[in-house]
Order: sequence, then structure tokens, then C-alpha cells
Amino acid sequence: MDSDTTNTGISRRLFLKGSILTPLTLALGGAAISAVYLRPTQARGFYLRPPGAIEEPRFLAACVKCGKCAQACPYQSIVMAGGEAGVGIGTPHIIPRETPCYLCPDLPCVKACPSGALDKQLTEVEKVRMGTAVIIDREGCLSIRGLRCEVCYRQCPLIDKAITIENRHNTRTGEHTIMEPVIHKDKCVGCGICEKVCVREKPVIAVQQRVTEQKDFYEF
Amino acid sequence: MELTRRDFLKASAAAAAFAAAGAQALAPRLASAADDKGIKWGKAPCRYCGVGCCVLVGVKDGKIVATKGDPAGPVNKGLNCIKGYFLSKALYGKDRLTHPLIRKGNKMVKASWDEALNLIASKYKEAIARSGPDSVAIYGSGQWTVFEGYTAVKLFKGGIGTNNVEPNARLCMASAVVGFMNTFGSDEPMGCYDDLDLGDTYILWGANMAEAHPVLFSRLIDNKLKNKKVKIIDIATRRTRTTQMADEYIPMVPQGDLAALNAIAHVILRDKLYDESFVKQHVSFKRGTENQPYGLKDKENPKEEPKPLTFDEYKQLMKQFTPEWAEKLSGIPAKKIEHLAQLYTDKSRKVNSLWTMGVNQHVRGVWVNNLIYNLHLLTGKICKPGENPLSLTGQPSACGTAREVGTFAHRLPADMVVMNEAHRKKTAEIWGIDPRKISPKVGLHTMEMFRAIDRGELKCLWIQCTNPFQSIPNLSRYRKAAQARKAFIVVSDIYPTRSTEVADVILPSASWVEKEGVFGNTERRTQHWFKMIEPPGEAKEDTWQLIELAKRLGHGNLFPYSQKNFHKEMWEEYRKFTIGTGKDLAPYETYYKVRGLRWPVKSNGQETRWRYTDADDAYVKKGEGVKFYKAPGNKATIWFRPYEPPAESPNSEYPFWYCTGRLLEHWHTATMTGRVPELKRAMPGATLEMHPEDAARLGIKNRDKVKVSSRRGSVVLIAEINGRGKPEKGNVFTTFFDETKLINDLCIDAFDPLSKEPDFKKCAVKVEKA
Repeated sequence: MDSDTTNTGISRRLFLKGSILTPLTLALGGAAISAVYLRPTQARGFYLRPPGAIEEPRFLAACVKCGKCAQACPYQSIVMAGGEAGVGIGTPHIIPRETPCYLCPDLPCVKACPSGALDKQLTEVEKVRMGTAVIIDREGCLSIRGLRCEVCYRQCPLIDKAITIENRHNTRTGEHTIMEPVIHKDKCVGCGICEKVCVREKPVIAVQQRVTEQKDFYEF
Repeated sequence: MELTRRDFLKASAAAAAFAAAGAQALAPRLASAADDKGIKWGKAPCRYCGVGCCVLVGVKDGKIVATKGDPAGPVNKGLNCIKGYFLSKALYGKDRLTHPLIRKGNKMVKASWDEALNLIASKYKEAIARSGPDSVAIYGSGQWTVFEGYTAVKLFKGGIGTNNVEPNARLCMASAVVGFMNTFGSDEPMGCYDDLDLGDTYILWGANMAEAHPVLFSRLIDNKLKNKKVKIIDIATRRTRTTQMADEYIPMVPQGDLAALNAIAHVILRDKLYDESFVKQHVSFKRGTENQPYGLKDKENPKEEPKPLTFDEYKQLMKQFTPEWAEKLSGIPAKKIEHLAQLYTDKSRKVNSLWTMGVNQHVRGVWVNNLIYNLHLLTGKICKPGENPLSLTGQPSACGTAREVGTFAHRLPADMVVMNEAHRKKTAEIWGIDPRKISPKVGLHTMEMFRAIDRGELKCLWIQCTNPFQSIPNLSRYRKAAQARKAFIVVSDIYPTRSTEVADVILPSASWVEKEGVFGNTERRTQHWFKMIEPPGEAKEDTWQLIELAKRLGHGNLFPYSQKNFHKEMWEEYRKFTIGTGKDLAPYETYYKVRGLRWPVKSNGQETRWRYTDADDAYVKKGEGVKFYKAPGNKATIWFRPYEPPAESPNSEYPFWYCTGRLLEHWHTATMTGRVPELKRAMPGATLEMHPEDAARLGIKNRDKVKVSSRRGSVVLIAEINGRGKPEKGNVFTTFFDETKLINDLCIDAFDPLSKEPDFKKCAVKVEKA
């Protein structure tokens, strides 16, 4: 990490202090993350960070809260967290139901980040991993109920990759197809467009935190 | 319409009870029993597309509180697409028109119905007195109910004495209509949706069913899930969601369908794969007039002079159309064409052709319709369960109203035409008027109607239930003419639109279940609904509005129906046109109970699923097999139709093909779906779909703003690359729903010389970064 370079405005000393403080912050913040971060409207239990955000604890330490990523965002998708974010106050995040990340091909937010909190090594939008979409309410999903909705699928910027449709016979009508949107976590970037466009009052598809890859996966 | 799970379960139970009880729609006994919350349930067809899904409408305290798919609906069995799910919200937009408005200079001023109607009547009277009845017109819709269309036809053709009656269906189904008429002698398909369950081979010519016919597509795909043999082949100029679920996608150069279809027929003839006895018994051959103009000049009126051919002459003529020849014009490899010919002729396969706007909105759209029928007639794969050509429609009553009632400039009800004296006589007899009242002169077709305004020849135009000042091609010419106040324009609608913008009088209309109505869908299914709620404010039914004009013009006697049984009496009068014609409709009350019936309705009250076959159609005697009893000599026509180029093709200055169309979330010009916040959020605005390589070459990235220009106009859109639709290289695609983007400015107003249907799918544009 080169966040001690002059252009970040963080001195080496300050940075080291921060590093010592980080475990403490984390310990305290753990409770805050579960309690404060769980806003009822989001219900995702984490802050959706802009593309390229490094791992959350390191991100909190690295981000200088300058707001340059938010400034660079042409859609104003990136907003700065308020007091409810505890230690994360002033850090950038995205509320997809309001304005999701539209995945600018040149990633201006990443380019604008002076601190390395958004990793400049990220240059391809398909490699963004902010979170991952999950159908959180299967019963509420109109497509799974057999209606022809699939709005999340058609609006997915990685249509047929991150979300595909799996067809199965609708036993209720006997002559129609249930066209179920299926999310592929290995492809989903977590932009949140699906969450934004879901037609239900409470979106049945939402971006959630990525779980670290399990090593004992089974491929078939 | 947000339902809690509890509500939903309750409603489902109510619906089941409703269906079980024989579904006497809105029967008071049942309605009160429907649920403890006092919701009354009634049935209606969906307001949107031509699929004709049945919905249940829950009303409480004079307001729709819920809608849902009707489990008893044969088309949708309780399902809907996302537009149908939010149906009721389309009526409750904040800006519903609730009182008449009259133009005073640049302002629209509130007026009473009397003021508005008197003004309209005086303008119509003045124009008729000064310039004759052909100086006034009405422009309606395939969303008109049967009653609205019938009232318009009767008033204008039987009362005022002009055939200037047109529906917006001219922009979508006119080519299909002429195809049906000149091939089979009667409009509308021989097959029905059952073919989607029973067949095994589906060849799609220019149809994005996945988005334009959502629930029907779900039915087609289910057939594929059940039967491994089912093959869906998508022939198109753009990869769509339909392509994604098809077994095979065959990309085609725009206009290439003419060549490919001819080459398939060539292979069938070359290899003697046709059904000789079927052809001998049921088919005659004709050659039409070729090298007709494209309708680009005003008042062009080409005529077709058909010449009969023998089968041998036809075979001889078809020798030139080899697959190699077609490959050059269509981009479809010769091998693929041979393969398609094998599929069409495979005796073990039940082959269906499906098509929509790619075929109809085409400068040679009638020809393409003819060429598709040619394949089915040569192979005898027609009029059999599971094996038919099926022309899909896009509006809820393009068939029921525009085509069956005949709200076209040349038509009368039940396949009759104004040019035919006997038809005028029959019509006059039913209407109780002097046959001389009905003009034999074909009225202005849609494009001519708007051109006549520009030329100052058409003085008054009443627009109902449609939005032409967003939806017609080469739009700016016609908008300018209207804005210059070259004609007196009345618009009846439920919301402010791009058409009310240019109106002199705006009238608030009742919509859907705010009035009683009947719609007819793609598969000849006639569906009825009762009025369930009052329209807002002073809004009134379009029929009432027209009859009020009739009264003021002295034609009130044409509408002698009682107030109590108004719709029933009008229906029974209209029904007389259909009896004994093979298009028979049932008595009015029949439709109260059923979820629609497919005509011709037999004397025993049964519907007809397949026309022209003794297996189902009562007009064909048992043992006769197939009989095209509406066609001259009982023979359908195979037309010789060569390839002809499009009206405008890309060049170095305008290097891209420009194609326009529909998508799932919105309907037509989104005057209704645009008022549903959920749909608006799901698809906020029009985009320009491009092939990724084309975009890369121009330095255009996904979501960049791009300026698209044709010789007629330009528009700035957001580029969409690798999204739901991917046009082939050299093609771009956009949608016409977005009222903030008048994408039809760019379209050429060239049309088919036979159907007068404009080509919204092909013109030349350039694309630049904006």
C-alpha cells in the first residue's frame, strides 16, 4: 500500500497511528456494523462501496473522505455516509435503490481516488466486485411466480452472464414457463441496478456482501 | 397494486370461487360473497397488447383496488406480464384529463362538454359545407372497443358520407390484412394459440415475442420444455431475448426476407417437396404488379393488377431464386436456406410460422405475408391443429375492432369493402340508410390523412385513443403541419400526450373498465367486460363523444339504442354483419360469462379453433378436408412476389440501418405505462442499441450519449451495448415509447403500395458521439 505518498495528504506517522487504531476501530465497529449499518431500507448489513474498494477494514483506514470519487461519478450514485455510519462517517457508498452504479467503462471514481481506497489496478468493469445480487424474497419475486417480469435480468449490465434465465414448467397453469432469474456470483459485480429496477415496493433482489470464496466448491 | 400475502391468498380463493360458480361476472350474489373487505371482482381482457390475457379486476368504493391474472383465462391461466400486473395504475396517473379543454391562442382553456362539442360540430359542419365530407376525418385505434369503432364507422361512413376513417392499426397490421385478403379472401388467421402447444417447429420471421407477446411466449417455451422435438428458429436482424431462448438464430440483412422466403420456395419446387394434391385442390397462382413506388410522394396511389399463372409458369418463374442468389441479398447462407426448406417440408414436423412487425412494417410487407403463406400452401401445412402460419397482433383489439368492424378507409364490417356495391348495399340495409349515402371512394389512408393536413386539404381530424403525433414516421413534417394549425384537431385521450399538445380541443375519455367494452385478440377471441368504475371528473366514453357529435350534425338517428341496453343493442346490430359470413359472433349475453370465444361461433354456441377445416369449422362439411371457402373458387392464392429493394438503404454518409420497436416494460407510446412509477423505474427512457464492434469503431462506450441522424431528423439517445438487444453489425435499434425522444422524426414515411403500412424498420442513419 502506498497511501503514505505525499499526494494523499496522510503522513507516515498518521498512517501508522491509524494502523494501530484500526483493530480497535474494528472491534468497536463490529457492533456498529451490525447495529448501525443495518438500516431498515437497506437491510443489507453492509455499506456498498464504490468500484475497486479494497477490503472494508482497510478501506476505512485508507479512505481520506475527500469525496473525489463522488464528484467524479456522473450519475451521483456515490454519496458520503452520514453520522449513522459511525467510524465510517464521510466515506463514500452507494444506495442502489436510489442510484445504483452504472459501471462507467472508464471507472472515473477509481481514477479520482487519491488514497488507494479504490484500487487503481481495477480497469475493467467486469472485474468490479462491490457485492453480489441475491434474490432475498423468492415468494415475492414475480418472475418466480410465473409472471413475465424479469426486469432485473433485462436491465443487468452483464445480462446472460451475471443473471441468466432458467426456464421451468409452470405446474400451476400447466402450459406456461416460469422464467426464473438466476444470479451467478462469479460474474455479478454488485452494481445494484437490479435492486434499483425491481418493480416490487420492497425489492426482492438486493446487493449483499460478497462472501469470501469457499475453497471446497463443487463444480459440475 | 400492492397486495399483502394474506390479501393475495384471499383473492385467489375468491377467484377460484368465482371461476367455479360459472363466473357470472359481477354477479351481485358472488360479489358480496367475494370477500369480507367488500371487494367486487369482475373480468376483463388486459388493456395492453394483442395477446388477450384475462384479468380479474377488484373494485371497492368505486376504485380499482386490485387486479390479477384470471385463472379461468384460457390464454394466460392467471398469469400476466409486468405491464398487466400494474394494470390499474395506468388509470390512476396524477395527470388524468378530467374536463374538456379548448385552445385559446397558445393556451388550453377549461370548457364545458357543450362548448367543446358545439365547437367541434361547427368546425365539422363548416368544413363539410365548404369542402365536402371528404375534408373531415377520424383517426382511431386498435384499442378502440368494438362499440367505439362501430360508432365511428357508422357516423362517418353512414352519416357524414366519407370513408376518412382510419385506425392506428394501419401502422401495424395493414400488411397482414392485405395478405389475408388476397391469399384467403378473409381477414384473420386460420390457426390459434393452441398451435403453440401442439406444434413442434416454430419459425419466427421478424418477431420479438419474448418482449412483445410476453405471456404467449411463456406458453411457446413451455411447449419446448415438454417436448424435446420442439425447435424454435429466430430469423431477425437483431439478437433479442427471443433469440436467447430460440434453438437457432439466423441473422438476416434488412429486406432479406423477400429473398430468403423465395429461395425456400425455390428449393421446395426444385426438389419436388411440395404436396401435389393439396396444391392441385386448394391453390391457384397469381402474379401481382411489380416495381411499384414506395409512397414517398403525396397522393401516390398504385394499383395492383393481378395476372393468373399456371403452376408450371409459377415454377418456371421461381427458378431464378436460388439459395445462392438469396444468400447475396439476405446474408443467410445458401445452406441455411436449404435447411429451412427441409424443415418446412419435413413430414414428421408440424411447422408454424410466426411473425409481427418485422414483416408487416415493411415496404413490401404484403409480399412477405404472401411469401410466408406460399410455403404453407405448397407444403399443405396449414389449417391443421399445431400446424399453421400465425400473424401476431400488437393491440388488444386490432382484430376485434380495427379489422372486424372495419375502421379502415376502404373497409366495412366483416371483410366487406366500400368499393363493392353489394357490400355497400348490405351495410346500408343493416343501418337502415340509403345505400347512396356510403361513398364508394376509398378514404384517406393514415399517411395520406396526415399529409392532407399538411397540404391544407383535410380541415378537421378527430383523434381517439391513440397518439399519432408521437408514433407516425417522418414525424416532424406532420407535427409542423399541426402546429401551424393547418387543420382543426380534436384529441380524445386519458392523459396529456404529444398529440394533445397540438390539439385544438382536448376531450377527457373513459378508459378500459370505466366503460363497457369488447376487444378481439390475435386468435379471433372476442372478450367482453362490464363497466366497473366511473371515469374521473367529467371524462366520458368515446362512443358517447361521437354520438354527441352525430346529434349535432343531424345524424343522431343512426344511434337509436336505448340507454339501458345501449351496448347490447349496438352489438346485436353489428352482429348481423357477421352471421353467415364465416365470421359469426355470438349473442351479446354469451360473452358475459365466457373468457372470450373464438369466431366463427357455431350455431350450438361452440367456438372455432381452426378455420377452413372440416375438423373444426362448421362451414366446411365433414369429409371435405380443407376448404378455403372465403376465397374465389375455394382456392387460396400463391403469389409470385420477387425481391425488391427497400426505400432507403445505408450509404457512406448514413451508414447504419435504423430499426424501431417495442419492449416489455412499456406499451406503445407509454401514455399509460409511463404513468406507472414501477415501470418507469424499470425502463426510464429510450436507448440506442448498437453492435459492440460498431460502437468501438466510433469510440462509443456503453451509456455514452449518441446523436443519431437521418435525412429527416436527429435525436440524442443513450447508447446501450451488449444489453437486452444486440443488432447485427451495421444496424442500430431504438424504441418508440419515450415521449421525450421523438425517434420517429428519423423514420422514413415510405409505405407498402398495397397495404399503405409504413416501414418503421428500415431507413439509413448516422451515429455520432453527442
